[in-house]
Amino acid sequence: MYKVYETIAGDFPALRGINADVQRGEFLGVIGKSGAGKSTLLNMVTGVDHLTSGEVIVHGDNGAVSIHKLSENDLALWRGRNLGVVYQSFQLLPMLTLVENIMLPMDLCGLYQRGGSHERALELLRLVELEEHAFKLPNYISGGQQQRVAIARALANDPPILVADEPTGSLDSVTADHVFQVFEQLLEMGKTIIMVTHDNSLAPRFSRHLIIQDGEIISDLQPVGKKKKK
Amino acid sequence: MIQLQKVVKKFKNAAGEFTVLKGVDLTLRSGEFVSIVGKSGSGKSTLINMITGIDHPTAGQVIVNKTNIYSMNESQRALWRGKNLGVVFQFFQLLPMLNLLENVMLPMDYIGMYDFDERPGRALDLLKMVGLEAQALKLPVAVSTGQQQSAAIARALATDPPVICADEPTGNLDSRSAEVIIQLFDRLVKGGKTIAMVTHDPSLTERTSRTIIISDGELIDETVARCLPLLSHPQMLEVTHRLERSTFPPGSNILQQGQHVDYFFMIVSGVVEVILCGEKRKDVTIARLGPGQFFGEVELMRGGKSIACVRAASEGAVELVALHRDPFIQLLGESSMTEETLGRLVQIRIEENRAADQRGKKR
Repeated sequence: MYKVYETIAGDFPALRGINADVQRGEFLGVIGKSGAGKSTLLNMVTGVDHLTSGEVIVHGDNGAVSIHKLSENDLALWRGRNLGVVYQSFQLLPMLTLVENIMLPMDLCGLYQRGGSHERALELLRLVELEEHAFKLPNYISGGQQQRVAIARALANDPPILVADEPTGSLDSVTADHVFQVFEQLLEMGKTIIMVTHDNSLAPRFSRHLIIQDGEIISDLQPVGKKKKK
Repeated sequence: MIQLQKVVKKFKNAAGEFTVLKGVDLTLRSGEFVSIVGKSGSGKSTLINMITGIDHPTAGQVIVNKTNIYSMNESQRALWRGKNLGVVFQFFQLLPMLNLLENVMLPMDYIGMYDFDERPGRALDLLKMVGLEAQALKLPVAVSTGQQQSAAIARALATDPPVICADEPTGNLDSRSAEVIIQLFDRLVKGGKTIAMVTHDPSLTERTSRTIIISDGELIDETVARCLPLLSHPQMLEVTHRLERSTFPPGSNILQQGQHVDYFFMIVSGVVEVILCGEKRKDVTIARLGPGQFFGEVELMRGGKSIACVRAASEGAVELVALHRDPFIQLLGESSMTEETLGRLVQIRIEENRAADQRGKKR
């Protein structure tokens, strides 16, 4: 993948020839400093931003898809079925209860019938161990709990892949730990997770991690003792 | 239109109980563009959260358009809010997996307003209004933060609510994007919306029609804030606590010339006339003062008796708040900027008074 941004000061290469394979069931960490290109990389994987050259191919149950060759509409559909997205700021709607926050996108996408979505939302809250708080407003739970709700929301359509951009970036280490516990659970269910972070102390948490600097991968490691999951 | 009555909010944490709002009374009228300001921790976000229902009061009532919003349960309130309030946040709160158009459609979908087929068109119209029609099918991360906030405002307008509540809507934006948002708010107010906005940016409060200052969980008297803007918020609050209120019918005397003056008077509403009265000479009106202006400072600062008489103008009643001499003098000692500014004003007013007096004598 190559990505060059045109700026007033001239061309800025954000990604300079990235080659990487991510296997099903992996927990891949993309680690790099601010400006290294890690969020750009994530935006290429999700198809939010356009590549200057290169390809992103996703092998799913229905064969291989080169996502940057899809039309805008097909890409949106593909994304809706295959990707869950979590960001640093939780972006929950503060005036809706947790269960309503999770139901909101389900109802809009029409994937679940009304009534069904309520059940599904409660099930997801159970998964992130927040069912007892289902009818509270986001203000009344902690930041770490809010992020778990955001993860539950990202899982609403049961996507096989979860991408997360600094999901623990605004959490303390204890609450960040809870988020990782949820990720572990998802991996056991067979999900694939790609997570971007600037915090290299998180490296041992991943089943594999890439270190990215100035738009290039400078290291691709699996921690000792951790085996690739199938 | 929006009324807070004796609203108390207490929080409990490990350190104990903490009162964030100490019995707030506030009325916002239809069509007002109100900024709510205060230092960090003063309670300004909690105050607006009482209106949006994001947080619930410990005691007191919030009445919006004759509806007591805390007499409803959470889901009734969510539906009510969907029709009556648009809410805008500092961090936009757009759903990351939905494009801008879908984000704007959400509130219509949520409360089942507008026909299903009508919703995309209406959402696109709103995005057009905020200058984002070309971005309609993009995801939030693919547009700038300023554009994300514009989209969030379009979403807040989706169900055409009469009231918009915004908490630091420009807090996360550069100044140019902030200007776009404020111009948008201006247009909405001109179109008849009521907007309440929490901000810490003084350049924004200048653009609103009314400013509410909150300090340590209490509202500062708006007349005090207008008359004595150079005081610190805690000083303004102290003055607020010590105010004495009075009302004078049209044409009635407030101060007699030569009378001993014990108060600093600030005008809440109505107009007062400052008149040089003479036993043999004709009365000369030297000034007409309106809301946000004051009198009595000349006498308190220089000592002595009233240099003119002050009367409620004939066109209407006058409402005043007054601060007694002792706290007033103490205040000047604590705020040298206020003392300097008032000192200069005293000089000007005395000169005006002398000039008018001369004219009076010649006649």
